[in-house]
Amino acid sequence: MFVLPALIVVGVILAYPVIYALVISFTDRELLYLGKTNFIGLKHYREMLLDRNFWHSLRLQFGVITIAIPIELIIGLFVAILFNRDFPFSKILRSLLMLPVFVLPVLSGLTWRLMLQPSYGVLASFFNFISLGPTAWLADTRYAYVAILLQDIWRMWPFMFMIIYAGLSSMPSEYVEAARIDGANFFQRFWYVLLPYLKPVIATAFLLRMIDALRIFSEVYVMTYGGPSNATMLLSLYIHKQAFEFGRLSYAASVAVFLLIVALFISYFVVKRGLRGEVE
Amino acid sequence: MRKRVISFVVLSVALLIVLVELFPIMVVIVNGFKRDIDIWSKNPFYFKPTLRSYQLIFRHREFPRSLRNSFVVASLSALVSVSLGSMAAYGLSRFNFKFNDALIFILLMVRMIPQISLAVPFYMIFRSIGLNDNVLGLSLAHISFNLPYVVALLLPFFSSIPKEYEEAAKVDGCKTFQIFLKIFFPLASAGIVVAAVFAFLMSWNEFIYALVLTGTRAKTAPIVVNAFMGQYAPLWGQLSAAGTIMLLPVFAVTLSLQRYIIRGLSAGGIKG
Repeated sequence: MFVLPALIVVGVILAYPVIYALVISFTDRELLYLGKTNFIGLKHYREMLLDRNFWHSLRLQFGVITIAIPIELIIGLFVAILFNRDFPFSKILRSLLMLPVFVLPVLSGLTWRLMLQPSYGVLASFFNFISLGPTAWLADTRYAYVAILLQDIWRMWPFMFMIIYAGLSSMPSEYVEAARIDGANFFQRFWYVLLPYLKPVIATAFLLRMIDALRIFSEVYVMTYGGPSNATMLLSLYIHKQAFEFGRLSYAASVAVFLLIVALFISYFVVKRGLRGEVE
Repeated sequence: MRKRVISFVVLSVALLIVLVELFPIMVVIVNGFKRDIDIWSKNPFYFKPTLRSYQLIFRHREFPRSLRNSFVVASLSALVSVSLGSMAAYGLSRFNFKFNDALIFILLMVRMIPQISLAVPFYMIFRSIGLNDNVLGLSLAHISFNLPYVVALLLPFFSSIPKEYEEAAKVDGCKTFQIFLKIFFPLASAGIVVAAVFAFLMSWNEFIYALVLTGTRAKTAPIVVNAFMGQYAPLWGQLSAAGTIMLLPVFAVTLSLQRYIIRGLSAGGIKG
């Protein structure tokens, strides 16, 4: 009785659109649709698998997971270790660090675009000064991708920091003390005590960020709109472009279904870990 | 002595990290008080404060209305999600139905669906029933991610409330709904406030649905902030001023709800 209203709403605004997308993906419906909609089976899925741009987008998406997230993890881990002690102002500094995570992605993307403007951007002048990269980062196919990764790292490493910090501060201090008494140096304490203790926390954080990475859209949309020449065309931008620029709604729907399945697959593991954590 | 030196060193390193990390945010705030011509100048440190950009955006054709739209959509979606979500979390944590575990599992799973996957079907459905470019329609779309999020956040809050409370209430002759309203709602009020605030913020920051589902009338502020890029020359001053205003709730939340941030984040993450 209590669950029913929520269930109905979820059914109408979540389950129905998902089924709708699935059904549409088997048809040839377009944005400017005049004639009859025809059932075409798996044709769109075949087209997707044969499209080089799709695989390119998938690779870029994979790059976010294998490059940006590990860097975020490493920065977050070391800053968490740094903060895991008493020093003045630590609490206020910690909450200040969380600000970027909540900054609207659009604003973050636009600000990075400003900072990377060739003639007056602060970051562009800095990179120029140390002769790193081209003058116009966002116009270069390789550096535009680096720029969106940097933006993501800047925004999301504090997320890793916060989760790891929470894990660290719940660790009994006897663990580290015991290791110290046994004569373990910093690296041994880090490798044999801290890391094993933090492993479940890190795994969950990593999985959460993996799903996040599938959802990156607005910051890249405003920074590069997938360009130059597809260099930053992540899957979500690919879907958006197919649907609303080329008007290929039904094809976009099939890629969307693919993305949905991948996201649900990862989130299955997140939920399973989470529930197990609550039972323990 | 040695301890004080260490703590001083740690403080300076931490301070440096925070300064570097917050630099882009400071760029936004400072640029909001600069003239465009000074933003375009080669010297980024030249700074003559002016309120010109703020005057311009509040007289702007679209920005004030879009800000109002953002506020309405965020409040509406947070309100609906919290009322339905808290009831659902209560039901799921208190009664043992056959499909309870499966339902919880599914609700927890769907909160992480990428928005872009639903943007296409939402667009088509809304177009055929006339909900396109409608504040109500956009709120509905936002509820689709906020409702499962609220349930995920509140479930542990509700499960942690001892069973004795409701048994006592039952003995006193309370109906189930009364128990929910008079016992659970106040007991879990901290969790409910946090859920409402985070739901509001996710909706406030949301961009994809606003981009795809709205036109001139229901446009929200993030869309207008992006529109300051313009077709020919970006209006960085006004963009930054508008961005600063959009950041105000973000500042308020991160600095006041610090204790709950981890809980809020691990229940679903913040993403636009």
